[in-house]
Amino acid sequence: MKDKLEALLREGAEKIQSAKNEAELQEIKGYLLGKQGKVTEIMKEIPKLDVSLRPEMGKAVNNVKNLLQEQIEGRREELKMKASEISPDFDYTLPGIEPQIGGLHPITQMCYDLNDAFRSMGFEIFHGPEITSEYFAFDKLNFPPNHPARESMDTYWLEGHDSGEANEKLCLRPHLTGGSVRYMKTHKPPYRFVYPGRVYRNETTDARHERAFFQYEALIVDKDFTYTAGKVMIKSILSKVFGQDVPVRMRAGFFPFVEPGFEIDMGCLVCGGKGCSVCKHVGWIEIMPGGTPHPNVLRAAGVDPDEYTGFYVNIGLDRLVMMRYGVDDVRLFHGTDLKFLGQFR
Amino acid sequence: MKLSLNWIKDYVKIPDDMDLSRLAYDLTMSTVEVEGAVDLGKKYENVVIGIINEVLPHPNADRLRVCKVDIGTDEAVDIVCGGSNLEVGMRVVVACPGAVVFWHGEGEPVTIKAGKLRGVMSYGMICASSELSLEELFPAKGDHDIMDLSHLDVKAGTPLAKAIGIDDIILEIDNKSMTNRPDLWGHYGIAREIAALYDLPLVEFEKYEPSVSERVDVRILDEEKCPRYIGAKIEGLGIIPSPFEMQSRIWRVGMRPINALVDVTNYVMLALGQPTHVFDSDHIKNHIEIRRASEGEKLVLLNEKELTLTNDDLVIADSEGAVALAGVMGGAKDSVLPTTNSVILEVANFDSKTVRKTALRYDNRTEASSRYEKAIDPERCDLAVSMAMKLFSELFPNMKVTAYEDKYPNKLVKKEIDVELEWLDRRLGKRIPQEVVARKLGTMGYEVTFNESSMHIVVPTWRSTGDVSIKADIMEEVARMYGYENFEATSITAVFDGAVNQLDMDLVRRIKEYLAFRCNMQEIFTYPWMQDNFVNAILPTTEGVLALSTPPAPNEKYIRSTLLPNICRAIVKNEHSFEEFAIFEEAQVFFDCDYTTDYDPIERLPKQRKHLGCAFVGKSDKISDLFRRAKGVIGMMPRYTHMEGFTFKREEKPYWADEVVWTNIYLGEKKIGDMALLSRKAALACGIKVLSPVLVELDMDELIPFKSRTNQFVHIPEHPLNNYDISFLVDSMVKWDEIYSILAEKITDNSLLRDVQFVDEYKGKQIPEGKKSITIRLVIGSSEKTLTGQEIEEVANTAMKKLTKKLGADVRK
Repeated sequence: MKDKLEALLREGAEKIQSAKNEAELQEIKGYLLGKQGKVTEIMKEIPKLDVSLRPEMGKAVNNVKNLLQEQIEGRREELKMKASEISPDFDYTLPGIEPQIGGLHPITQMCYDLNDAFRSMGFEIFHGPEITSEYFAFDKLNFPPNHPARESMDTYWLEGHDSGEANEKLCLRPHLTGGSVRYMKTHKPPYRFVYPGRVYRNETTDARHERAFFQYEALIVDKDFTYTAGKVMIKSILSKVFGQDVPVRMRAGFFPFVEPGFEIDMGCLVCGGKGCSVCKHVGWIEIMPGGTPHPNVLRAAGVDPDEYTGFYVNIGLDRLVMMRYGVDDVRLFHGTDLKFLGQFR
Repeated sequence: MKLSLNWIKDYVKIPDDMDLSRLAYDLTMSTVEVEGAVDLGKKYENVVIGIINEVLPHPNADRLRVCKVDIGTDEAVDIVCGGSNLEVGMRVVVACPGAVVFWHGEGEPVTIKAGKLRGVMSYGMICASSELSLEELFPAKGDHDIMDLSHLDVKAGTPLAKAIGIDDIILEIDNKSMTNRPDLWGHYGIAREIAALYDLPLVEFEKYEPSVSERVDVRILDEEKCPRYIGAKIEGLGIIPSPFEMQSRIWRVGMRPINALVDVTNYVMLALGQPTHVFDSDHIKNHIEIRRASEGEKLVLLNEKELTLTNDDLVIADSEGAVALAGVMGGAKDSVLPTTNSVILEVANFDSKTVRKTALRYDNRTEASSRYEKAIDPERCDLAVSMAMKLFSELFPNMKVTAYEDKYPNKLVKKEIDVELEWLDRRLGKRIPQEVVARKLGTMGYEVTFNESSMHIVVPTWRSTGDVSIKADIMEEVARMYGYENFEATSITAVFDGAVNQLDMDLVRRIKEYLAFRCNMQEIFTYPWMQDNFVNAILPTTEGVLALSTPPAPNEKYIRSTLLPNICRAIVKNEHSFEEFAIFEEAQVFFDCDYTTDYDPIERLPKQRKHLGCAFVGKSDKISDLFRRAKGVIGMMPRYTHMEGFTFKREEKPYWADEVVWTNIYLGEKKIGDMALLSRKAALACGIKVLSPVLVELDMDELIPFKSRTNQFVHIPEHPLNNYDISFLVDSMVKWDEIYSILAEKITDNSLLRDVQFVDEYKGKQIPEGKKSITIRLVIGSSEKTLTGQEIEEVANTAMKKLTKKLGADVRK
C-alpha cells in the first residue's frame, strides 16, 4: 500500500505540473482528490487492513492527500499569474486607433518651419496690414511710374479708393516688400527680420496661378553684408527646412527693389539635379527672387544706402510646399477641401 | 525669344569648340535665362537629299509610285511615294529610318521605319515640306507636291540641314528675364554680352551717311512721345522674295518670311532690336506727321483689325489721316502692297509707355510693340538705318535714296556715374583687378576713367534709358561678368544683444497649434473676397464693408469684415463628405471705417484686425454637444495658450445666430467675440443643407499674451478628496451658472467643500414636464485630516439644503 501511495504521489505531482490552465487543473484535482478519486480509492482500502496498521496508513494517506492539495493550490496560483485576462483569439494585427488630431494648413507648417530656421539665426517675425496705399505698394519700392504691375490688371484696388495720389489709392497688397519698408521705417538698423503673409494679384487662375498666395520675405540690413553671405543664409535655411544639403545657385535677375538682383534656384530634390519633369529637365528649380535692397528702397525707409546694405529674399511659400509634397495645383491651398488639407500632419 | 547661334556669330567670333551647354549656362547665370536649345541639325537627323533615278508604277495602288532614289549609298533605294510632282532627276528630301516627321503635316511626330507599303518594300519616305515643318520656307505648289530641291547643287546623301543651310542651334530665351534690358531684344545685344563674358571682339557697324539733300517732310507734333523719327524715301525696289538665307534666318527664330521689303525690316529688328517699317511711298500724301490720334479716329491695321482710336494713342499720319499705329503695327492701306516699288522707310523711337498702353488697349501686342515698351534708346536708329540701307542695296542693285530726314528733337543724355573703388571692393567682398573691371565694362560699351580712388563711368546709350543709373548697377555689371560663382562664400556675422522675444507672434502660433493638435480642428485658408449670398446670410448690411474695383467675379466684390461667410462656404464644400468636423481660420479682416495714419503718417488706412473664426459642425441632434465643445475649446484656450482668460455672457445676439443657442465672449469688460449656432435662415441662405454649425469668431488683436507660462504649483493634497455625486430635479429654465454660484459661493481655501462640478443633464420620460434632472459632483476634503463618512455627509447635506431653498430643487438620492 505504501508503494501505491508513493506511485500516486509521483503521478499526481507530474499531472499537476503538466496542467496548462485552471480547467485542466480542476479535472486533475477531481481525478486525485474527488469522491471517486485515487486518494479516496486508497482510503477505502484501509478498513481491509490489519487494525494495528490502520492508524499509520491513515496518517500516510492523509499526508499524501495534503501534499497533493498543496501542490494543486501552488499550481493554481502559478497558472493565475501567468494567465491573460483576455481570450487567446486576441488579434494583435488589427490596425491601431489613430490619435484624433486636426492639423495646420500645409502652408502654415512650411511657414513655421521657416520661422524656426530663421529665428535660430536671430530673425524677428513681422506682420503688416494687408490693405496698403499705392505709396507703399509701389512708390516706396522703386517701381517706375509706368510699371505694368501698377495697373488694375495686376492689383486689386479698392472701390472708392482707386484714384488720386499714391498715398490715397488703396489696394490689397500685391507683395510684401512694401510692408518691409514699414518695418525699416520704425526700427533702427542693423536688423534682420522675416515677413510671412498673403498677397493678392488680379490674375486669371490655373494650376500654377492664384489670386491669393503666400510670400515669405526675409531681410537683413547691415553694414557691408555681401551677397555671398546671403547665399550662405539661403543654403542654411533650405537645408534645415528640407533636412538635407540643398544646392543653391544665384543668377542674374531683375526686380525693381533690388540691385543687384538674383533669381535663386535650388537643386531639384526629386531627381538630385539630374533633370526630371518636376524641374523641366534642368536640375534646378527657380525658388525665389533676391538681392541687395535697392538704394532707393533703403532711402525710402530712412536708411543711408552708403552706410548700410543687406540682403533680401522673397520665398514663394505655395511653390515651396508644392515642391515639398508634389502638389500639382496651387488652387488647392485656398480650396478648403478637408480631404486635401487632412493629408498634411 | 529665339536666337540663332549662327546669326550671333555674325557679330562675335565664338570659338568653334565652345561647348554649347557651357554657353547656355553662362548666359543664364550672368544675363538672361536660356530655357532651351534646339539643334536643327539633330532635329533633321537622318533626313537627306535624294536624287530620283526612276519612277515606276505601284503594282497594287494607282496613286502611289515606286521610286528608285539615290541617297548617296552604294545602291539606290526603293521608296513608295504618292507625290504628284515626282520626276526623274528631281532632288528630293528623303526621311531615312530613324528620322522624325509629321505624317501629312499633322498630328504627333512619327519615327520613320523601313517597311512594306501596299505590298512593296519602301526604305523611307520622300517628304512634303509640311511633313518637316518647313512649309513656310518651301511652300508647296500643289496639295500633293513633295519638296523639290532641284535648284540646289548638292550631292545625294547630303544632310538636309546642311544642304539648305539651317544647320544651326536655336537658343530659347525666357522673355521675362530681360524685361529690363531693351538692348537684348536682338542678336547683336546678346552678342555683346557674349563678347564681354568671354573677352571676345564685337563687330562694329559703319554709320550710314545720307548723300541726298532732298528731305522727306516729317513733322513730329508730340516730341515727348516721339523723341526721334528717321524717314527715307527709297526708289527702285519691288516685290521679290528675299534671299533664301534671309528667309531662313527669319524662319529659324520664329517669324514668317514674306517678301524682300518686309523681310528686311524684320531682319533689322531681329538683328538689332530696333523695329522698322516701310510705307508704300505712292500712298503717303504730302507729308508724314507723328501725332496723337484724334478721339474716334479710325484706322484699319495690317491684320485687318479696325480700330477706333483715342487721344492717348500715337499715330503716323499723312495729310489725309492715320496710316500706322506708332510702334505697334502699320495700316492696311499704306504699307507694302503687291505693286510697291518705292517706299518710305521708317526708323523711329517712340515712348515706351504709350506704345505699351496702346498695344494693350487694342489687345494687339506685336514683335515691334514688345520691343518698344522696354524703352529702346533713340541712338539705335542709326544702326538700324545703316543695316537696312546695306541690305536694300544688296537686294536691289538699282535702289536709290531720293529723300531723307532725321528729326531728333529729344536727344538722349548718357548717364554718368562715379564709383568709389573702396566701396566697390567692400560691397563685392573682394577686389577685382582694375584691368578686368575696365575690360568687362569696356566691352559692354561703358567708357571708364580711373581716378585715384574712384572710377568715372559713362553709360552707353543703350543702357541709359532707365536700366543703369546708380553705382549699385555698376557693381552688378562687374559682379555678373566676373561670374557670380567666382565669389567665395562668406559667413554671416551676428551681433547678439538678446534673444528674439515676440509675445504676440508666439501667441498666434500657440493658439493655432492648440486648436489643431489639442482640439482636433483643421486649419483652412479662404480668399478675402466673399460671395454675395454668404455676405447676406451673415451680415445685416454691407455698410462699412470694403469692396474691390475689379473683383474676381461680379458677385464677389466685398472683402471680408468677418471670417464667417467664407467659413460657411467651406462648410458647404465639406458637409457632404463628413458627418462631423471642426475647422478654423486666422486672417485679417477689413472695415470701411476708423481710418488711421497709425501705420504711417503719409497714408490713411482703414481699420484692419486679425480675427479667428471657428466652426464646429455636426448633425442637428448634436447641437448641444457641439456648442459645449465650442465652449470648451474657446474657454480652455487662454489656459493652454497662456493669455488673459475669457468669460461668456449674453449681451447682444449676433445677426446670424440662432434665437436660443448663442453667447458673447468677453475679455474683462470688452466684448471680443461671439459663439452661436448658425440660424436656420442663415444656413439656408448659405446653402448648408445637411449639418448644423456652431460658429465662433474672435478678435485676436484683443488678446493679451502672458509674458511667460503661468502654471502654478499647488501641493498635492495630503488627505484624500472625496467625490460625492448628487442628482436633483429643477425647473428646466434654471441655468448651470445659477446652480454653480449658489454652491461655489462658500468655497475658500479652508472650506471642506473644495469644488462643484457638472456631471450630467437629463430631460426625458421619467422627468416631469418643465423639469430637468441635474447631476453634480461635490469635491469634499480637508487639508488637516481624513474626513469621516459622517463629516462628508454633513457637507453634502448643507449643499443640498441650499439648492432646495434657493432653487426649489428636488433632490433624488
